[in-house]
Amino acid sequence: MRKLISIFLSLTIFCFSSCLKLDENLFNQEKLTEYKLENYSGETDFKLDYTYSIPENKISLFTLNSQASGESSATKIYAVYIGDINRISSDTIIMYCHGNKDHMDFYWQRAKLLANTGSKNRFGVMMIDYRGYGMSEGKPTEEGLYADVDAALIWLKSKGLSNDRLIIYGFSLGSAPATKLTAEPRSLTPSKLMLEAPFANAETMIQDGSGLAMPSGFFTSLKINNAEKIKSVQQPFFWIHGEDDDFLNIATHGQRVYDNYHGTYGEAHKIQGAGHSTIPSTQGFNNYLNSVHSFITH
Amino acid sequence: MSKLVFVIILSLLIASCSPQRFVKPLAKKEHAANLALGGPLIKYGESTIPIPFLTANYGYGIDSSLTAYAGLNITSALYGNFQLELGAVKQWIKQQKYLPAVSSGIQFNIIYRDKISRKLYPQLDLNLVWEYGKGKNYFYLGVSNWFELSKIRTLGQPQSNHWIFMPLLGHNFRGKKWDLSMECKVIAPNLSNEKIVVEYQTPLKNCGAFGVYLGYTRRF
Repeated sequence: MRKLISIFLSLTIFCFSSCLKLDENLFNQEKLTEYKLENYSGETDFKLDYTYSIPENKISLFTLNSQASGESSATKIYAVYIGDINRISSDTIIMYCHGNKDHMDFYWQRAKLLANTGSKNRFGVMMIDYRGYGMSEGKPTEEGLYADVDAALIWLKSKGLSNDRLIIYGFSLGSAPATKLTAEPRSLTPSKLMLEAPFANAETMIQDGSGLAMPSGFFTSLKINNAEKIKSVQQPFFWIHGEDDDFLNIATHGQRVYDNYHGTYGEAHKIQGAGHSTIPSTQGFNNYLNSVHSFITH
Repeated sequence: MSKLVFVIILSLLIASCSPQRFVKPLAKKEHAANLALGGPLIKYGESTIPIPFLTANYGYGIDSSLTAYAGLNITSALYGNFQLELGAVKQWIKQQKYLPAVSSGIQFNIIYRDKISRKLYPQLDLNLVWEYGKGKNYFYLGVSNWFELSKIRTLGQPQSNHWIFMPLLGHNFRGKKWDLSMECKVIAPNLSNEKIVVEYQTPLKNCGAFGVYLGYTRRF
């Protein structure tokens, strides 16, 4: 009996001392050795035809240094700017924060689509790979997400971008840095916030998955809470979500975020028949672009 | 499939990670140590796989019809959660030829990580047990019920679901000093599994999840 109890206690101590972390599992870290953008042949959510193509001289791929608070050194991350860098001082720019699934090659079609808002290259579009994604160095962290997007905003500011011409757009995971940096601006204050298929918080995912009111603290230390952060956003807000989103449920995620917005102007677009990744293709690319354009120029 | 799914799967596994602890009481003053492995089937890429969850528990026969037990969820502990299961099973009716024995169990599932992240889930089980042959192997059919006591879920929303219902079917091979059990469980067939991150594989298609479990018990 004593032997059994001692085995049980040893097992308990061993288990707790090992304490594996789930947080790293929250981020996908697909690595790349080079960016192909337009020539990327891997899986994407959709492919645009030639009418949406961007002239090569309007595509700039470069690196940025991102340093989160408390870090002793900067992390090299990759960025792509679609548009004329020399006109950032006068253009309106969409800072596109991509989702968790993959890297900039995967999300290139989405960024390219946004670069056709209004007309081709009517607005500049900036996209980065968060640390640990694509060719960006380092490991993803929650603070890293914010620091990396802010590094892009620092670069845009250095090229002459002002607050009133910055629109921030977050898709899925990208809704976290987009909302956070609108609610609590750092280098620049976005003038408008656009969220596509945002998640409310990690707890909602866990509770939707289990059917139980389980604390997220059992599984993750992530503090991302778009549904709370949005309460501090006063800027105009555009929300678009697929009614058939089987990844981030429109009712428990997107609607919660939208309901908690109490700012100056809000637009809700619930797209019938669209899933998590299929809003532009289900809505129709031109309809989607018209919605985006209409909001930006509102 | 996003790795994020893995995290969400674990949340359901907390409620469905193990087979029934004891469906048939131990003999009076008999001890038993048990290890159980298994979990719900999920679609992972192109494959359907069970997620292995490991639990260890110890039982003691208070008398020939009442067994008390305590268990530790090892996988949960590996992720920093102290998940303890305390329970008892009571046999109410003995088997009479083809009429099964009837037992019921009560279990308290205590999960603790810190002052904020802590939960208590009561569980009630009902089992029908058919013993056969000289080796006293047995089949069992039962239902396990978890209860969510919270009225509020995240973001101040009402918690509408307070009951997770799990019908199950199992078989126990009985050796002289050991038992080997296999169990299939339908987890929460009363709840939709659509529009959530995890793609559960279940015969009920849009509802619940389907779990398979193996257990080894050493009696002494």
